[in-house]
Amino acid sequence: MLGLIKKDLLMIKGNIKTLAIIFVVFTIMAINGNGNFAFIPAFMSVMIVMSTFSYDEYNKTDGFITSLPNGKKNAVKSKYISTLIIISVSIILTVIMTMIIGISQNSLDFKEILYTTLGCFAAMLILQSVLYPVIYKYGIEKSRIGIFVGVFGISSIAALLMKSDLKIQIPPAIITLLNHYWMIILPIVVVIVLLLSYKISEHLYLKKEF
Amino acid sequence: MKNAIEINNLVKKYDPKFKLGDIDLKIPSGVIVGLIGENGAGKTTLIKSILNILHIDSGNIKIFGKDYKKQESTIKEDIGVVLDDMFLPEILFVKDIDSIMKDVYKNWDSSAYSDYLKDFGINPNKQIKTLSKGMRKKLEIATALSHHAKLLILDEPTSGLDPVVRSEVLDIFLKFISDEDHTILLSTHITSDLEHIADNIIFIDKGKIVLEDTRDGIMDNYGVLKCDIDYFKNIEKEDIISYRKNKYDYNILVKDKEKISKKYKNCIIDKVTLEDLMVLMIKGGE
Repeated sequence: MLGLIKKDLLMIKGNIKTLAIIFVVFTIMAINGNGNFAFIPAFMSVMIVMSTFSYDEYNKTDGFITSLPNGKKNAVKSKYISTLIIISVSIILTVIMTMIIGISQNSLDFKEILYTTLGCFAAMLILQSVLYPVIYKYGIEKSRIGIFVGVFGISSIAALLMKSDLKIQIPPAIITLLNHYWMIILPIVVVIVLLLSYKISEHLYLKKEF
Repeated sequence: MKNAIEINNLVKKYDPKFKLGDIDLKIPSGVIVGLIGENGAGKTTLIKSILNILHIDSGNIKIFGKDYKKQESTIKEDIGVVLDDMFLPEILFVKDIDSIMKDVYKNWDSSAYSDYLKDFGINPNKQIKTLSKGMRKKLEIATALSHHAKLLILDEPTSGLDPVVRSEVLDIFLKFISDEDHTILLSTHITSDLEHIADNIIFIDKGKIVLEDTRDGIMDNYGVLKCDIDYFKNIEKEDIISYRKNKYDYNILVKDKEKISKKYKNCIIDKVTLEDLMVLMIKGGE
């Protein structure tokens, strides 16, 4: 499995320069402005790992991988793990970035950094969890349009809902529970969603023919 | 002799139009087997089935007497593959393959890999996508050979290569097969390659094995009888496997050419090439 993880990491090695430039640009933008750009490196990382699907598909690499020892068994697992590695690295970058912004604005707030980091991490893992089964089902080329429509659609609807006067009735007990225990609930939910997504992707992959 | 590959009643349906099967096949260790047939005949489907890349509908495949259901990764440790158009992403560098494969195959041999690269003149610091088609094929072959496989399964390993590179590649295969435990199954539509190196020939047409014999058996037994239209009328139907009408004469595929040449004394029987055999059997009339 290590070999396949290496394959993904080596594939994005070429993108590191681009990533570094984007990272620097957004850090400068964040320092000068008020916007919160903390999620950018993490989001970029998911996009970059997704590009590995394109290269795999273009060279029909999955056919080759399934001819290797344990290839079929480890293909999906290694893709999930290499994505986790990339997201984690980008989260570390996010922490550094938020700290730089905090120091430059004399408002270093560790609690906020912790919240931003956890929020980003959870959001990217959920994004990965939703996207990967779609990619494994339809292939990256076909999925791409769907993914963009999906991501922007969901965020637009969410934005509209937040702006509108529509008040969703959530029982106060649940709100209290979320307020107090979100640091426990969020990781549990994320882990469950991620595992579920992995199982679905693996099932789809094993059914596929290359 | 132990069988490297043993297939019983293999059936693989793709869509209502294509079915591979029923295939029964035994490939002994120590030989080069050439798989021939026109495009779409089922060569790649058979190869992918043997590699357990496809889900077969029924049948049983054993490699070195082992079953995929129980020992898939053990089996694949001993197989080197070159698939027609499937390989690692071309964005990777040649040297990356070494670092990936040493964590894939237990027996991966980095120094063997770098020796092959040197022999083939492939620069390890190049990106795969910058290699020419021939170099790329050689890289795939180097990758297939660098974990001391016992069985090479090669789908069209010489297609798109110029004659010089092709003969180099064939020499590599001959070197590999000089170890008597080693076996090669190789599909190609460049049949002349097989006339040089193959021990056995398997001919697939429309998903079925239509001919399975040793190369010498085919070359010694089969022949192409050439005659004009008047003579053609005198030839008994049972002596004709298939025939093709040309502008001025008839080409007839015959078996047991010694007997046939005694029977029809006034005509010429040429040596058969695998290409003649393929074309006559697929396109000829009966």
